[in-house]
Amino acid sequence: MDVNVPDARILPSSTALPASATAWRGRQIFWTVVLLAVVFGAVPAAITATGSSYLAQIAITAMIFVILSASLNHITGTAGLLSIGHAAFYGIGAYAAALLSTKLGLPFIVTLPAAGLIAAFVGFLVAMPTMRLVSIYFAVATLGIGEMIYVILLNWVDLTRGPMGIRGIPPIELFGWQANTLLSRYMAVAVIAVVCVWVLHRLTHSYYGNALRALREDDQCADSMGIDVVRLKVEAFVVSTFFAGVAGALLSHTSAYIAPDNFRFMESILILAMVVVGGMGSLPGAVVGALFMIVLPEALRDIGDYRMIAVGATMFLSILLLPKGMLAEGASLAFVRRAFARGWTTMSGGTPVGWK
Amino acid sequence: MTDANTILSIDGLTRRFGGLLAVSDVTATIKQGELVGLIGPNGAGKTTLFNLITGFTPPSSGTVRFAGRDVTGLKPWQIARMGMGRTFQNLRVFPNMTVFDNVSVGAVGSFGQSPWRALFNGGAQSRAVSARSWEALERVGLADVAGEIAANLSYGKRKYLEIARALATAPRLLILDEPAAGLNDTETAELADFIRRLHAEGVTVLLVEHDMGLVMNSCSRVIVLASGRKIADGTPEQVQRDPAVLEAYLGVEDDAA
Repeated sequence: MDVNVPDARILPSSTALPASATAWRGRQIFWTVVLLAVVFGAVPAAITATGSSYLAQIAITAMIFVILSASLNHITGTAGLLSIGHAAFYGIGAYAAALLSTKLGLPFIVTLPAAGLIAAFVGFLVAMPTMRLVSIYFAVATLGIGEMIYVILLNWVDLTRGPMGIRGIPPIELFGWQANTLLSRYMAVAVIAVVCVWVLHRLTHSYYGNALRALREDDQCADSMGIDVVRLKVEAFVVSTFFAGVAGALLSHTSAYIAPDNFRFMESILILAMVVVGGMGSLPGAVVGALFMIVLPEALRDIGDYRMIAVGATMFLSILLLPKGMLAEGASLAFVRRAFARGWTTMSGGTPVGWK
Repeated sequence: MTDANTILSIDGLTRRFGGLLAVSDVTATIKQGELVGLIGPNGAGKTTLFNLITGFTPPSSGTVRFAGRDVTGLKPWQIARMGMGRTFQNLRVFPNMTVFDNVSVGAVGSFGQSPWRALFNGGAQSRAVSARSWEALERVGLADVAGEIAANLSYGKRKYLEIARALATAPRLLILDEPAAGLNDTETAELADFIRRLHAEGVTVLLVEHDMGLVMNSCSRVIVLASGRKIADGTPEQVQRDPAVLEAYLGVEDDAA
């Protein structure tokens, strides 16, 4: 007999403060400091110490892909809608920023949000008719739209210069300060990446995030709990494409040159692989997955062309051995509840549940 | 007209699927504070009627009024948000979420959560969702497994988890869809006790079942459905003596015998 029904209704003990509130605060500060120290301390120090532009370039690329992977995780991992056209929105953001700055001379402070908003707007247009589709049909729709956007970038020569790409995109500048060195470029990209991940963290690690996860688990059932399923799916897709657009703007302004080939189907698959290897539905996993997939091929440069085989084998093995990813969703959510004090503590046991 | 105490009233509700008349001209009301059973043999149209009430299927004709408003044609989430909580016949918990997070989805549905609130000022709302979820879990006796992944719970506990999730929507009417399915006799008896206790605490319950025992022992009023029509509506004693009910359940007596 495992059904256990209490004899009398126990009064909620939930209003009491957690006994370990201060310990929690301490953990939250510890983890925040550690993460910020790595991003803004250790990595820049390594770049400065080695004076390596190669290292700085990898660090910038890694930060851009952290945004891409975290934003794809929002729609595909958390809300459960498999999108295989994420690179297209990355491309829209990149071209939006490139064209607005080279043709209209708009500053970075305008092109960055504009790139996100334009990508999000296209995302919204795509979401409206496709959100009623289920699983695999949605995936095929995003594949089709991704290819369509790639072909437009390639063939609308008057606007995009087609395969020649866009050159001479100005570097990141803010009110007269220009990110001319690789180190300052990294710092600017890192600040924006941290803000993007923070926003996704707040959205995912909340009751709003629980509603998104409920869509993935059983959207009909979520519907009968009072969740407006279609609206939530559209919101999640718009948020996801917004950040893909922001990542695109960062690529434009850090590499000075973009071409349609940066945004091909393979790029979408690479971003999806980061999410899967890191752990579907796990935001820390998406970040780690992106870092892993960018750094690993570079670390294996010594073995020449064999490295791509090694990368493929690593992905294959990681999925075989860790089907839920390097940082599984359940464990990640529990970690965030504890480490960043995002959980809600009750008197019973003191293990955080739910969200603050 | 319906009086102020009526929480749910359905009027002339009909649903056709092609040539099949699944639900035909059903009229019934449920008052606040009642514990009503809806029974019928297999294929009587219980599930279709259930889907018509909760908004999953639009009726071919007829109306559904809930909490004083015409909800015919509204979407399930709109009706749910007005205070209609439900469970599912074939257990539909969110398997990869914790017990607590499962229940919170019901509370989120009724309080509402927007991305802006999650970003900037979720505090008060989140506390309300947390407290409501915790209360619902304590009510069904699952507070001690709040942090477990729902899929790891036993079948019986998942049943109570579904009820807790529905309770977290703060329902004005709680509809239980065949809650005794898959439970043994002891578990069914415990469930009956539990439903009676919920009712005593003031929850209005509509119990859709084909387990006659559970309905006859718990409900103050029973509605009987057969071949899509309402054939009886009364106390368990009245319904059990009703010739139409006996006929539907046991078949027509053969004159030649």
